[in-house]
Amino acid sequence: MKMRILSNSALVSGAILLGVASASAESFKWASNTDPQTMDPHAVNSAPVLSFLNNIYEGLVRRNQGMSIEGSLAESWEPLTGEDGWRFNLRPGVTFQNGAAFTAEDVMFSYERASNEAADVRSWFAPVSEVRVVDDYTIDFLTKAPNPLFPDSIANFMILDKGWAEANGAELPARDAENFATMNVNGTGAFTLASRDPGVKTVLIPNAGWWGEVEHNITEATFTPIGNAATGLAALLSGEIDFIQPIPLQDVAQVESRDGFKVLEGEETRVIMFGFGHEHDELLYSSDVSGSNPFQDVRVRQAAGHAIDIASIDRVLFRGKIEGASQLVPAGISGYSEANSDRPAYDPEKAKSLLAEAGYPDGFSFGLKCPNDRYINDEALCRAAASMFAAVGMNAELSTGPVRDYWPQLREDSFDMYLLGWSPGTFDMEHPIRFLMSTPNSEKKLGSWNFGGYSNARVDELLPGIQREVDPAARQAMVDEVVAITQAEVAYIPLYTQPLIWAAKDNVAMTQRADNFFMLRWVTVN
Amino acid sequence: MTYFILKRLIQSVFVMIAVAFLAFSLFRFVGDPITQMTGVETSIEDQERLREELGLNDPFVVQFARFIGDMLQGDFGYSYRTRQPVGEMISSRIPATLELGIVALFISLLVGIPTGVFTALRPRGFATQTILMTTLVGVSIPTFVIGIILIFLFGVQLGWLPTFGRGGTVQIGGWESSLFTIDGWRALLLPAITLGVYQLTLTMRLVRAEMMEVLRSDYIRFGMARGVPMRSLYFKHALANTLVPVITIIGLQFGGVIAFSIVTESVFQWPGMGLLFLESIRFVDIPVMGVYLVVIAFFFVLVNLIVDLLYVAIDPRLRVKDTS
Repeated sequence: MKMRILSNSALVSGAILLGVASASAESFKWASNTDPQTMDPHAVNSAPVLSFLNNIYEGLVRRNQGMSIEGSLAESWEPLTGEDGWRFNLRPGVTFQNGAAFTAEDVMFSYERASNEAADVRSWFAPVSEVRVVDDYTIDFLTKAPNPLFPDSIANFMILDKGWAEANGAELPARDAENFATMNVNGTGAFTLASRDPGVKTVLIPNAGWWGEVEHNITEATFTPIGNAATGLAALLSGEIDFIQPIPLQDVAQVESRDGFKVLEGEETRVIMFGFGHEHDELLYSSDVSGSNPFQDVRVRQAAGHAIDIASIDRVLFRGKIEGASQLVPAGISGYSEANSDRPAYDPEKAKSLLAEAGYPDGFSFGLKCPNDRYINDEALCRAAASMFAAVGMNAELSTGPVRDYWPQLREDSFDMYLLGWSPGTFDMEHPIRFLMSTPNSEKKLGSWNFGGYSNARVDELLPGIQREVDPAARQAMVDEVVAITQAEVAYIPLYTQPLIWAAKDNVAMTQRADNFFMLRWVTVN
Repeated sequence: MTYFILKRLIQSVFVMIAVAFLAFSLFRFVGDPITQMTGVETSIEDQERLREELGLNDPFVVQFARFIGDMLQGDFGYSYRTRQPVGEMISSRIPATLELGIVALFISLLVGIPTGVFTALRPRGFATQTILMTTLVGVSIPTFVIGIILIFLFGVQLGWLPTFGRGGTVQIGGWESSLFTIDGWRALLLPAITLGVYQLTLTMRLVRAEMMEVLRSDYIRFGMARGVPMRSLYFKHALANTLVPVITIIGLQFGGVIAFSIVTESVFQWPGMGLLFLESIRFVDIPVMGVYLVVIAFFFVLVNLIVDLLYVAIDPRLRVKDTS
């Protein structure tokens, strides 16, 4: 009798164990703070959308775990001879999730779709002059000038099936109303869409016909957006989800202190910096300076740089998780200038004497603008910086606001100094030079995020060369010169690289990529 | 009676237009939708073109007139963020919010009325003092803190209830309900309690005050003297007279419960209208915000109307006036 009870309970617990084990190997649940707003890979150029859709769609090239470019739908690519551009040799035998064969026509169609006015990603194709289908598995992208970076710049250019899009009236990305591609997918990627309830739940299942080598062991993956950070953490700790990106810094200790959970930490490619109103002739928010802008004097900008104590910010606000930045990209990104890797030392005395030299021995007051929901601890950072500026006599009037209101204010030039974070979309130094350091020129599409209007003729002159130069050493020399100039002129004060903090259950193995993209095909649940 | 209802419904249209006007005049301070809709690499010209296409450069009056005109034709527009039809987006979220609000209301009534009566009958008892103290704490803590405490206690520490979402739902016609599965009820419990706590306290205190008032009145004393059983006196005569003002207040509060479920929905990632509204604010999704506010205004009008009708049903004196 007793034996039977024992064996029964052993059976039951065995069944429970089995049930739990198979459940965890089958389904994977994850959460993030933002829902991908569309399933259309060309409609929106935003990280939540591109990151999510990279699981479903694929590009000609893709980024590996270390962020370098490798072949995806193109097996290989080489520069064209005799003209400027690139030839992509496509992978034969690839099929879309609906069974249609993948050919160069699909690439051509996707190029036309993604470079259309209705597409938000069209800026990727600004250098392209023409695209030519050579045969079913060869396609040429002609560029207006030599463009060694072009393959790197289209890693997120995802390929749609021409026949499917045309049959369903999704020839163009949805602009006003939704279309078929907003809610349905047909890619070549490792996963496909099983169901979608926008803002609530999206379920992916593996694509059985995927051409690549399967490294994951997921049979179903469920994504839930959880906007409230505390709720997301609770969902992880209660075991309802297996993984969440990101978690707030202050919750790291909470997760680490519990058995069965881990924190994944890394460096994002985003550099946080202060910018100045270089072209403003007077301060807008000063109570004691009128008719002039002290920040036009390089000594004042240098003083601001020396006033910032990154080590203290790191210790107090970031729990030792940030790395000081010397330039607008972090070390490891292509084009990073090793020759200029020193950031201004924390030296309040030097800052004061520089201010005195510039004619402000008693300091001055100015307005500092910061977002409060864009970067990790952005508002706290600005408070800390404001008190550091005040210590050398620069009295910052801090005003903060949500990012939806912040960009319009910067565009309207209502700032004396502002906070900005920049992640180079192409993972190359050319990106911040083009967007942040070039003289704003809407015709040439340069300097569109250079709110302060920083302008240096030599930097403008060097940019086309950097974009075209094929020889790495010659190119790096030009980049080094730009970095040296902008450091000497203190175009910006680079502060630090933003940390990347994810949390997961212990039994989940995954890859944390520096662009904050989460790839399901690298996930294994043990 | 029909005339009365009809008149109120017509009035509600004006209320909604007024709300839409106020909302629209505030939207331009919310932020710029274009910068939220486009990526960092999108050129300024492309942004401008989009702004022009969406009619955001038009004067305020033109934008407002277009919004009202479309609404009157039943066209609620398309979301800037997801490009989906706004009408569909909001109507698919209504069941979640309504079920949450109604269950919260029931919890507050089922607990609030008995405890209110109890504390009125034993005003100086130890239990009464304890209840009053606890509910005072409950009403002083902000909703989101109560929600987080409940999540960490029942979701994380004890692991009894889910921490977010709606759990299992059943599709009945166009209505996605969580009231027909155990899973759904498990998910509903914590958010409903969180949302209902304030109502519960209010109901209890209101019932208690009214009850004590009524118990002092002459007809109760007379009933006592006449030998009417205490049970019948308390629960039939006293309670019925207590409920009239209670229903008014609670009914009027219900509109607020629906409107302010935003906080609870955000804490529990409850996929209702409030959560949708919050996301819309983040992305400056003006069409969704506009329609949401109009729908909420309609709810308020509707709830007030129902309260008026209930009033008539409960208080016989009003019926007499109406028919005379």
